[in-house]
Amino acid sequence: MSRRRQLLAYLASRLLLLPVMLWLIASLVFLLLRVAPGDPIDALLGTRAPEAARIALRHQLGLDQPLASQYGHYLWDLLHGQLGTSLTNQESVLSVIGRSLPASLELGVLALLIAAVLGLAVGFSGIARPEGRLDLAGRLYGIGTYALPPFWAAMVVQLVFAVWLGWLPVGGRFPATLVPPSGTGFYLLDSLRSGSWSQFSASLRHLVLPAATLGVLLSGIFDNALRLNLRRALGSDYVEAARSRGLSETRVVLRHALPNALLPVLTITGITVASLIGGALLIEVTFSWPGIAFRLQEAIGQRDYPVVQGIVVVVAALVVAVGVAVDLLVALLDPRIKF
Amino acid sequence: MLGWLTGLALVVPLLGGCQPPHPVGELVVASRSSLESVDPVDVTSFAGSQLLSALGDPLYASDASGRIQPRLATALPRFSGGGLVARIPLRQDVRFQDGSRFDAAAMVFSLQRFLALAKVSYLLDGRVASVAASGPFELELRLKRPCASLAAVLSSINLTPVSPRAYRAHGRRSLRDRFVGTGPYRLATFTPQQQRLLPFAGYWGVPPANRGLSLVTLSNSTALFGALLSGEVDVLLSSGLDSDQQRDLHRRAGRGALVEGIGPAVEIGYLTLRSDQPPLANPDLRRALAYGLDRRLISERVSYGMRDPLRSLVPAPLPGSEPPSWPAYDPARARALFRKAGYCQVRGPGPGRRLSLPLSFRSNVPADRLFALTWQAQLQRDLGDCISLEITGIESTTAYRQLGAGAFPLILLDWSGDYPDANAYLQPLLGCRRAQGNRCLAGDSAASGSFWTAPGLEAELAGLESERGQARQQRVTRIQARVAAASPYLPVWRVPPRAWAQPWLARPQFDGSGRLVLQALHQRPQAGGPQAGAPLDARPQDPVRSGGTP
Repeated sequence: MSRRRQLLAYLASRLLLLPVMLWLIASLVFLLLRVAPGDPIDALLGTRAPEAARIALRHQLGLDQPLASQYGHYLWDLLHGQLGTSLTNQESVLSVIGRSLPASLELGVLALLIAAVLGLAVGFSGIARPEGRLDLAGRLYGIGTYALPPFWAAMVVQLVFAVWLGWLPVGGRFPATLVPPSGTGFYLLDSLRSGSWSQFSASLRHLVLPAATLGVLLSGIFDNALRLNLRRALGSDYVEAARSRGLSETRVVLRHALPNALLPVLTITGITVASLIGGALLIEVTFSWPGIAFRLQEAIGQRDYPVVQGIVVVVAALVVAVGVAVDLLVALLDPRIKF
Repeated sequence: MLGWLTGLALVVPLLGGCQPPHPVGELVVASRSSLESVDPVDVTSFAGSQLLSALGDPLYASDASGRIQPRLATALPRFSGGGLVARIPLRQDVRFQDGSRFDAAAMVFSLQRFLALAKVSYLLDGRVASVAASGPFELELRLKRPCASLAAVLSSINLTPVSPRAYRAHGRRSLRDRFVGTGPYRLATFTPQQQRLLPFAGYWGVPPANRGLSLVTLSNSTALFGALLSGEVDVLLSSGLDSDQQRDLHRRAGRGALVEGIGPAVEIGYLTLRSDQPPLANPDLRRALAYGLDRRLISERVSYGMRDPLRSLVPAPLPGSEPPSWPAYDPARARALFRKAGYCQVRGPGPGRRLSLPLSFRSNVPADRLFALTWQAQLQRDLGDCISLEITGIESTTAYRQLGAGAFPLILLDWSGDYPDANAYLQPLLGCRRAQGNRCLAGDSAASGSFWTAPGLEAELAGLESERGQARQQRVTRIQARVAAASPYLPVWRVPPRAWAQPWLARPQFDGSGRLVLQALHQRPQAGGPQAGAPLDARPQDPVRSGGTP
């Protein structure tokens, strides 16, 4: 079978498996939520409300129906592209996701950019003199940023740059007293499209701290991955062969070793992107960033079943899609990969 | 850290000159709770009622001394038909924010909508049989049973009228992100994390003292604390703020770096004791625990004295809150009662035992955890040979679910009355539909986890709705004395709401329902604004309790 056909077959198999995977995930989330103690009535009313009122509200929200019936309705709606409505305010789950997913993606993309640039730069910097001071510092940086607890690091950053120095906002996505840009939900993009510098700078000011924190925390992964793979590549036969042909060390590193070392980094990037789609919960909570992970956490606390189910299914679909895209990209770039 | 510094060094100078303008006279108020809906039929949280209190008016409102005053009504309800018909005269000079007229028909529409859609419809369900307009500006409520606290019930902000013109088209659905009511502000924008309020030019009452408000949500205590200190927000509400940060803000207010307002407490913290199962089925043990609770020490350790020790289920200033019914801390009496029950390392004949008692607390409420740890240590110190507490954390929603199943011998919970009246604290904890002796088999007491009742108690509670004035107050005292003697609940503390504001602002005020009076927020005369760097010239002030609507 030709390589092109192999790739297409792989793509088709993954796409065919996608609905099965989503059905499994959706069913699992549905069941787990119902098995977990507490229900939306407890979350909404706490210890308030007489028993009769609780029963009435349970009926109003359709929670008194048999589990099989609720499951049937849920799957039927899912098949028709409906994710239901929130139990707390009757807002469509699609609208909840439409509002919070762009916030997470905007944060995730900028953080990933910072992580990749910083991590790869640090990882690459020590290569000239392995075991030298720069290499050691880079290694420490990689381990340090990877090991830092995100919640703690985010709070320190918040205190230093927002509270003590007052350079940037403490949290949120946009100043309370300004009207946020409308459009796609990506504030940077929307403000650029509308040509509003004040909206753009306001959005950027709110984005800098969470994105920089997340980016730096993730950069250690890129740093370590590049360092290890580059060192392995520099010790391989084809690099020795290139050197023996009299090529300069710069050329050897940049043209022969680096592209090969970057392939595993691409896979890591894919995994990181996938995890960022689900949001960086601790960063979003610390910086009050109204992203999808933040909303998911709230919905779990409120036992808002449709919102939790909807977010998990959408995020799972996106993660699978990113995984397939990365697999295909790696396969396209590296002819040794077989499926 | 190098990465942060490098990146920020590049970015911050670029953005530094682009501080978003802070509109003159508009204020930013921050709190922790986000808000999923502004529709009165959806609102169940304190954050929601805080917002609604600025956008709408109730028929009645509680003043700082706990008295109910007419707001959209012009007088207290007039009862007839053996107390089963209530007529309420309404103001005639009120308009909704969409320009339509407020009248009895609008109030009927709002109450019927509430009964049909509200998550907390139980506020009216059990009391009101029908709602009608008996005149253009007179409301008639037919009651299922006498309801002396009707005016207090109608002071719930969830019952604020909404414009029929704006809401009728939406049928039986809630309007999540819009509000058209009669309040001093109109809702300009709404997101769960941010709401912008602008003064309503046609407001019938005293217009707001500021030019608008932005209510923002920050999701953790450190962010809230930092936002106030950095000047990013002008006013900060205490709800959800960690105790040590509250103390720091309180101290800063004492030095004049901030101003602090304290409202009347509507939230109480209390212990529920499961009274129908050993070991706490023994009333001596329950009373021993009542004597063994050093509220003052615990309040000091947990909240640095910012929660008031409470020995009554009804918090002050509500009528019936005084005198306190539960006993003060007395370890000697506690020891005597433990011994009577066969515990403590008694000298002489008899082995003596130590009671090992599980204490549950809500793990997602920081103060609850601190309470559990502190009380455990206090009992260990004072009565260590008689009792030891085994503390267990449980997530709050899970705890609420298991409460009625009798899962907890001893658990710390909190309660805020739905309306400012003693019965809003007593009935939900003590009501019982079906009983066997002192054991409540079904009803509020069972749902609350104590399963305690007493012969005649239900009739006493029912009597609260048919009596007024001094007789009612005496009945509240009598009921509390009976409950205290049996101690199925132990009041622990009341939590007064606080707000801190920048020093150039006047002291924040609270209404009788413990809500910040948003329309009263304003700059102090002679104080510079944030642009003038006023914090430096602010005078030191002693925080005092405030209240009353402006």
